[in-house]
Amino acid sequence: MSTSTALIAVIGVGLATYAMRAGLILALADTELPTWLLRALRYVAPSVLAALVVTLVADPDAANRGVSLAEVVGLLVTAGVVIKTRNLAVTLAVGMAAFWAVLALG
Amino acid sequence: MASASPSLDARSEALKDSFPLLIPAVPFGFVLGVTISESVVPDGIGVLTSWTIFAGAAQLAFLTLAGTASLGAAIAAALVINARHVMYSAAIAPVFEPQPRWFRWLAPSVLIDQVFALAMQRADADPTWFRRYYLWVGAQFFLVWQTVTLLGLFFGSVIPEEIQIGFAPAVMFAGLVILGITNRPGVVAAFVGAVVCLATLSLPNRVGLLIGAACGVVAGSIAEALQQRRVLAEAER
Repeated sequence: MSTSTALIAVIGVGLATYAMRAGLILALADTELPTWLLRALRYVAPSVLAALVVTLVADPDAANRGVSLAEVVGLLVTAGVVIKTRNLAVTLAVGMAAFWAVLALG
Repeated sequence: MASASPSLDARSEALKDSFPLLIPAVPFGFVLGVTISESVVPDGIGVLTSWTIFAGAAQLAFLTLAGTASLGAAIAAALVINARHVMYSAAIAPVFEPQPRWFRWLAPSVLIDQVFALAMQRADADPTWFRRYYLWVGAQFFLVWQTVTLLGLFFGSVIPEEIQIGFAPAVMFAGLVILGITNRPGVVAAFVGAVVCLATLSLPNRVGLLIGAACGVVAGSIAEALQQRRVLAEAER
């Protein structure tokens, strides 16, 4: 990827993000969003992030195709720890540790 | 809350409230920095995402997808992830009514999840006090984020290959999915998003990611509508 293309993309996404954050603040208060839209926005994060995990782990183009045992164990441990602790820092540490443990054993 | 020296108070309250939320941002920003060092995106431009986009999940998605998918898919994913900010903007807009114009333009640039959550709890504060509080909270998160991004980038380039640190973003996202689920329809949305994405994985340009996300949003919305209808029906009985 060329540097200038990447630069334009990063600035463009930044401007769009600012627009989404600023839009209704600058338009001021009275604009109420329709119920269906507010409802849909609530589910954007869980669905797109779940799809991202799948894309990253089961990437069909990656060098190491397919899902490894270490990855499955790592994600299961991650899910367990975050449900129990609700703490992202601890979750990252334990999830990676589980992944490395299986890598080392296998 | 408002005391004899409101400016000092706003600052110390901001520092105190932000602290527990800043701690998880440190490893997240660090993973982001490591991802920048691994990404096909040049390092300088990767660091720039922390300045222009300033939203961890979207940055991480952009950088990881830019390598494997098309640039268009990376941009689309980042924008979809950031769409939740429209909801924040709508919810917090009334709080900005008594605020000066410059602040209305400046404040949204740091309106990340944590700043939104903290600011909403102070929605009824005196406008001047609120402004100071908001700026201190925002500035702190911005500063910490830039610092840990750079630290991650620096250490990322010395982390050995065998460690497969590239798995860290997946762990981060898996954690974020579960933290972001607050009700049953949220579980439905995540599940449908993941399954549809898996089924459409072989489609070109990672378009399956967006199809999965769209199906998840629709499924979550339907699940919530059904849930509400059931609650109403029970109330009538």
